[in-house]
Amino acid sequence: MPDERFFEPDVETMPRARIAALQEERILELVPYVYERSALVRKKWEEARVKPSDINSLADFTERVPFITKDDIREFRAAAQDPFGGLLCTDYADATTVFSTSGTTGDATLYAHAWDRWHPFWAATARDLWEIGVRPGDYVLGSGFKMRGPLYHADQMVGAIPVLVNTGIGGWATALDAIRRFRPVYGQLTGLALAELDHLARTTDMREVFSSFKGAAFAGEPLGARARAQLESWGVEVFLWTSTGDVTGAWECRQHDGCHAWEDCVLLEAVDPAASTPGTSAHVADGELGELVATSLDNPVTPMVRFRSDDIIRMTRQPCACGRTHARFWPVGRKGDETIVAGRSFVPMDIWRALEGVPQTATALFQLVRPAREIDELKVRVGYDPEVTTSVLELWDRVSEAITAAVGVPPVLELLPEPELLARGRGGKLPRVVKS
Amino acid sequence: MTAASSAAAAAALPRPGPWGIGRYDVAGQPVFFEVGWDDWRRDVAWARAMLADHGVGPGSGLIVVSSMPESPWFDPFETAARELGAPYSIGETYAFEAFRTGMYARRLTITMIFGLDRTVTEGLGDELAEVVARVPVIVARPDAAGLLVAAGARPFLLARVGPVLAVECPYRSGAHVNGAEWTLAERGGELSISTAGPRAHQVSRAPLGLRGTLADGPCGCGRAGQRVTVSEGA
Repeated sequence: MPDERFFEPDVETMPRARIAALQEERILELVPYVYERSALVRKKWEEARVKPSDINSLADFTERVPFITKDDIREFRAAAQDPFGGLLCTDYADATTVFSTSGTTGDATLYAHAWDRWHPFWAATARDLWEIGVRPGDYVLGSGFKMRGPLYHADQMVGAIPVLVNTGIGGWATALDAIRRFRPVYGQLTGLALAELDHLARTTDMREVFSSFKGAAFAGEPLGARARAQLESWGVEVFLWTSTGDVTGAWECRQHDGCHAWEDCVLLEAVDPAASTPGTSAHVADGELGELVATSLDNPVTPMVRFRSDDIIRMTRQPCACGRTHARFWPVGRKGDETIVAGRSFVPMDIWRALEGVPQTATALFQLVRPAREIDELKVRVGYDPEVTTSVLELWDRVSEAITAAVGVPPVLELLPEPELLARGRGGKLPRVVKS
Repeated sequence: MTAASSAAAAAALPRPGPWGIGRYDVAGQPVFFEVGWDDWRRDVAWARAMLADHGVGPGSGLIVVSSMPESPWFDPFETAARELGAPYSIGETYAFEAFRTGMYARRLTITMIFGLDRTVTEGLGDELAEVVARVPVIVARPDAAGLLVAAGARPFLLARVGPVLAVECPYRSGAHVNGAEWTLAERGGELSISTAGPRAHQVSRAPLGLRGTLADGPCGCGRAGQRVTVSEGA
């Protein structure tokens, strides 16, 4: 098997008709299951006058079943004093693990799984690591955060050996030592890690350090053009990944043409972000911008059912050139990230690009301080590299000019040394839009 | 289902290497250590007995406070919780993640926090008193003990001692070391470690850069072997 192109060839290259049949079978099992057990699902369905007997096909499901939003879960949690927001379909005691969403954009939501040997969130990720080229006996950098559970289960599933060292803020000097000793073929990177590696690169031959890597995964936030170019200059092939509404992960393959969702695990839809009710018209066409909506097909404990993720994506169900047939999508941003200041519209990525062009702020560590979507003044908190900054006043002018050119509105700047801003990070990423 | 098909594919693969590689530091120098699959299985069995002694069983809610690089020490306890039927959550050992430990303690019925350290204890801030009041069993690291006692808790202690996680039993007579796997020695207050079992990581009287005291002889829990009280740095 180590010579096989795919970890699970039958599943990963399943014809579309078989994927649809499999999804329909699982959805028709899920519908009565969640209606009987999930208090939030029952409430939402009763409000929408939908009964399980109305749902007899996948098409019925996507046309009639109401959406569930994060606010629905939070409101239910507060009203019913239910920590799981009405999502729990078993007793708490039947769960093996209870983890939570990152909480970077608000109050974290709990989700739970029951499992035996491998954590289900990471089980399908074994397919993605295999695609990167991780094979039995390879060392991998067992990096990342643990809030979603034992990510190294995916490493161990493909027979790899995780080297478990600190890759958090301030840990990369020791991680580079581990890379030199064990020559891992893969590791996880985050935006905050890249900021630290950027500094270490001044005294370290990164091309030599990363020469054993077949690939590195990157997640948590967009990868800026400068950061991508820098990783490429170190010889690191970057595989972006993201989550599908917190149901499971979706990773790029070697084609780097969208993140592969595993549709035996999740029913993925792209809907009009403005659509509040289900129906055929809510769906956007293949390749059009839409909001990612996820339904768990493999979690009987806290299944998400038509969960609106707030993630804006483009999605296609066209087969990938790699040979896999499951849907792919390209994350575009977060719903609500668009900001209007003085009548001008922009997204955080506009500021990101502007900062990448200024050497002292090239790591693009910033926070847009936005108490509301429409604001009167553009407040931006920007991290600068004190080692290469001789005059903060001069830098203030340069950053101000760059942001003004990108957004069309002069910013109200707060410049902080990078370490001070990094301290506001959470779970490997810095919240880019904050209220204060 | 997905997890089942992926697990089946994983089961068909060779697993030529160990469970994983961990790292601890002695006097600022790194010591990398291998945990074999058999080592890990024995560690899980020991962890299971320790948790069971604290009353962990089906339905007990746990928060394990640990970080990814601490997995060689803490994964056996997480696996043991799973095997005992006790749902667990992870609260990581970073200040910015302290909120998560507090959130789990507040929202869920938690019977044990395992691994609480000073960073998270301090990070709980005003929530600490509520957490202490809500959670019956707290197994904490030495650096958190003082703060917890001041907040009204009576924590049991655990400590990372080189490659070992030593854990106090309900009899509070020092943190047990799995004597079938490891032997500690103390000279002038300095601790050293030797491998006693058939582990991948073999050391003999290796200094640990830690100060502490050792107790031998039977404990009230019935275990023979060493208990350690670490005074700093664990």
